[in-house]
Amino acid sequence: MTLTDAPARPRPRDAGRASPMSLWRLLWLELRRNAMPWMFPLLAALFVFDPFRTAMGYGPFWDLRASVLENKLLPDFVLFVAGVAAWMGSRDSRRHTRDLVDATARPRWTAQLTTWAATTLWVAAGFLICVAVLYGVTASQATWGGPPWWPVAVSLAELALISALGFAAGTFFPSRFTAPLAAVGAFLLCLEGFRNAVGRSSVYALLSPTTSVPDDDTGLFRHYLPDVSIAQLMFLIGLTLVVLAALGLRRAADAGPRLRRAAAVIAVAGLAAAGTAIGLTGTARTQAYGTVIPALHDAANDRPIPYTPVCGQAAGVPVCVHPAYRNFLPAMTAALAPVFRQIASLPGAPARVDQVAVNDLIASNGAAITGVPPVFRLPVPATPDETSFGQNASTFSSYLQSTLVTGFVLGAHGFVAYGPPVGTPAQQAVVLALLQKAGTAIQTGAGPESAHAKAEQVAAAARRFAAQPAATRHAWLAGHLAALRAGRITLAQLP
Amino acid sequence: MNVEIAGLTRHFGRNQAVAGVDLEAGPGVFGLLGPNGAGKTSLLRMMATVLSPSAGKMRLLGRDPGSYGPRREIRRRLGYLPQNLGYYPSFTVVEFVEYFALLKEMPAARVPAAVAAAVERADLGDKARAKLRTLSGGMLRRVGIAQAIVNDPELLLLDEPTAGLDPEQRVAFRALLRDLGERATVVVSTHLVEDVGAACTEVALMNAGKIVFRGTPEQLTARGEGHGVGDAPLERGYSAVLTEARS
Repeated sequence: MTLTDAPARPRPRDAGRASPMSLWRLLWLELRRNAMPWMFPLLAALFVFDPFRTAMGYGPFWDLRASVLENKLLPDFVLFVAGVAAWMGSRDSRRHTRDLVDATARPRWTAQLTTWAATTLWVAAGFLICVAVLYGVTASQATWGGPPWWPVAVSLAELALISALGFAAGTFFPSRFTAPLAAVGAFLLCLEGFRNAVGRSSVYALLSPTTSVPDDDTGLFRHYLPDVSIAQLMFLIGLTLVVLAALGLRRAADAGPRLRRAAAVIAVAGLAAAGTAIGLTGTARTQAYGTVIPALHDAANDRPIPYTPVCGQAAGVPVCVHPAYRNFLPAMTAALAPVFRQIASLPGAPARVDQVAVNDLIASNGAAITGVPPVFRLPVPATPDETSFGQNASTFSSYLQSTLVTGFVLGAHGFVAYGPPVGTPAQQAVVLALLQKAGTAIQTGAGPESAHAKAEQVAAAARRFAAQPAATRHAWLAGHLAALRAGRITLAQLP
Repeated sequence: MNVEIAGLTRHFGRNQAVAGVDLEAGPGVFGLLGPNGAGKTSLLRMMATVLSPSAGKMRLLGRDPGSYGPRREIRRRLGYLPQNLGYYPSFTVVEFVEYFALLKEMPAARVPAAVAAAVERADLGDKARAKLRTLSGGMLRRVGIAQAIVNDPELLLLDEPTAGLDPEQRVAFRALLRDLGERATVVVSTHLVEDVGAACTEVALMNAGKIVFRGTPEQLTARGEGHGVGDAPLERGYSAVLTEARS
């Protein structure tokens, strides 16, 4: 018998049928030999030195700390995710295994999706470990609320998209330079490129997660509005589906009709999702408590979050704060007590301090001390700056004292934070004197010569007033406070 | 008949790599000889269904590889070792062979035993857990052979399988080829005529994209009597046929 006339061997009936189990096994092999875990030490170092350190500089407020996920951690990850995904996407071309893979029964698209899925699962695992560390530490410090999951979901969706884009770049342009170029390109796209492409002030910039910074008091006094997050998820997942489907359609000639149809359906679904998200984002409008997309908005989220304040005493005056600020109450009462001791029983002296949402105070035209009996409505921005909780203790103390004294001396419209001096020279001098007696040093500041000379005059009057015995100052204020607030007192009239 | 090819042609631009090849083969070891650029690799790649023909007809394992469903069935029953074997350096030998067993859509339950058997047959048992990046060129070639035979293929295409193997390994490999050839159609493309003489039951010699000789190794040897150049009788037959074809 020669080669040509021998019969073909019959195939066993059970051969050649893959089970879902074999796909899992394939994924397991890809997970074991993926390049992404090699990046974890670098990502861990970046996480510690950038997002984690930044978050720990903020007060222990869930939404504020969660903001570093999108603004710090996400860009750090994007760089590596895009590079590694491109590296994995170009693997068969770089390693000359395309013929080997092409000669196998499993469609190449399936093999590619398995490799992409393994890369993305590692990315998600690494990101979630960082989230777990950040949220774990915050859970041990926070006194109110719980972890927000929308930023986590949006970040994971963006990482999946970046992974898909990087993988597609590696597949379409297989070269050893693709990975670094994809990494840099994705980083720039994530940070600036997208916003510049759609216009910095455009409402469509909202589609990029890194543009979102939570408002003051989000998650404390007001609910987190998930409208934008939902649109971002639709947009990012839609684009991810389009990119993955493009990988399948690229090899349409070698794929079966079912796979071709599946790729086409996925591409259409992805385009529909992304297009819908763009359309919805176009209707977004900014309100006092966040950005609202009418079609996605739940009116229940507009209601304030109910809470029971936590109170302490500052020189006998109740000081009540949101329970999220419970840990800062002793520092607040200690800062406010010296001021209350000086203004006790004077007309308009607050009988109570209530912490209010920053946006609420802005909406009420900045009235700091209102009502009968007077209540000092104290806004404390959660957004990290030199005046917020968790920052420098003496700066924070000065901010509280300055806010109270200025509000008391200048009257109903006296709310100021930091900035140029407000009020008449006499009002400024009294404010400075009261602050000096409360422990805040008088600084005249710098500026043009004329302004400097004027500030020196105010400072001199403040020192003179502060040098008076406490009873003298108190008696003078009791007799002249109305005139002082009305702006009818001059520097020379101060004792 | 496992391989039925008629008028198979493949162009790369103006270059005609394969020019109207006719070939039929059933179970056994089929040797494909020829000088560099003769078209052996292109022919094998078309038989491996990774390169589409420009013209001609081809049926493999009784199926038309031009259609998706039959092509997928062929690939399930196909083993292929390309001339330039690529590999994933971070994979171990077992992982690499298992990876391709899974890509060939072998049932998951059969994979572990099939992988172990293929690794043993390629004489890589003591290197089964070694990373591919640590292996020599000859060992990598054996890994390539292991992945090609892991699915117990009915059609096995080997492009320069003995390149990089030491003499002892080549002897063992020829024995493996003969064993495989008892149940499957094995097509071996090689420059080494001694491999053909030792392992093949039939041989074809390609030149300039065409098959210029088809017969048994003994018939090829006979063509060299009194003609050709070379140390071995088969080499003289090889050079005599090529000289005649070129003239």
